[in-house]
Amino acid sequence: MDDMEAEDADDAESLFVRPYTITQGRTAPARDDLTLITIVTTVEPAPGRAGTRGLQPEHRSILQQCLRPAAVAEVAAELNLPVAVTKILIDDLVGLGRVTTRPPIAMAVGSESNMTLLRAVRDGLRRI
Amino acid sequence: MVFVESDPVGGARAVTSPAAVKILVAGGFGVGKTTLVAAVSEVTPLRTEEYMTVASVGVDDVGGIEDKTTTTVAMDFGRITVNSQLVVYLFGTPGQERFWFMWNDLVQGALGAVVLADTRRLESSFASIDFFESRGIPFVVGVNCFHGRIDRDEREVREALDLGPEVPLVMGDMRQKSVGRDLLVSLVEYLIATGR
Repeated sequence: MDDMEAEDADDAESLFVRPYTITQGRTAPARDDLTLITIVTTVEPAPGRAGTRGLQPEHRSILQQCLRPAAVAEVAAELNLPVAVTKILIDDLVGLGRVTTRPPIAMAVGSESNMTLLRAVRDGLRRI
Repeated sequence: MVFVESDPVGGARAVTSPAAVKILVAGGFGVGKTTLVAAVSEVTPLRTEEYMTVASVGVDDVGGIEDKTTTTVAMDFGRITVNSQLVVYLFGTPGQERFWFMWNDLVQGALGAVVLADTRRLESSFASIDFFESRGIPFVVGVNCFHGRIDRDEREVREALDLGPEVPLVMGDMRQKSVGRDLLVSLVEYLIATGR
């Protein structure tokens, strides 16, 4: 019964909270460098810095999920929010120093480092 | 390759993050994109969505005011961890082609693409092939042979899709992991061979 109530509450939330309410009306992140595959990693706080006061539940979910590095797209899927909204929330956490981000690998056509990367990808794919 | 990582605030530490690359899986509606992603991904495919603002085709011309509508586009994706430093994401492009073509974040920075085709309606893959050719994004073609049924041979498919001889083509049942793997490996080998 408890479970059912919890589920109802979740449903109600997803039905009635408009996505941009979560971002307090903002429709774009302050910085514009997050991509679908930017990797987000939670910064483990030093002792005494662990507070989550002032953070919204979605921010806390991101911090929990990204203890294991995850792409922006994965965070969006887990939160069940559109990518654009998720980027704003991640950007908040970047601003607070609570997560770090790693951009996708920039491809330089024909370069040696690129070949090294491609061979690593190929070898990795062969093993699946 | 240059890795830039944002600095954590002093006194804090972050676990080492892997870097990511992505491969797009495109093709017409119902051609097996999510099937392929599911077959090779180490996780059950995830779904995410994005808002797209598109100029709507004018029914009522309000004169000088550009009419825009917002639509939601959903896509499925999976991941393959190569090692602790490298992750490959596979993005199945949304079925509504006229929307995802405008989704720059999805397209930009992709290593390359897999275009899936169904021999019963090859024309449904034309738009994806045209798109990748025009954007200079390397691609390979996978012909999904459901239940091992093949009603056209490779030469016929190449001709119908107007594919150059250099474009790799793999025929097989995309539900099988080994077929998906071969298709992805053929894409990366193609990238290596062409010096991309």
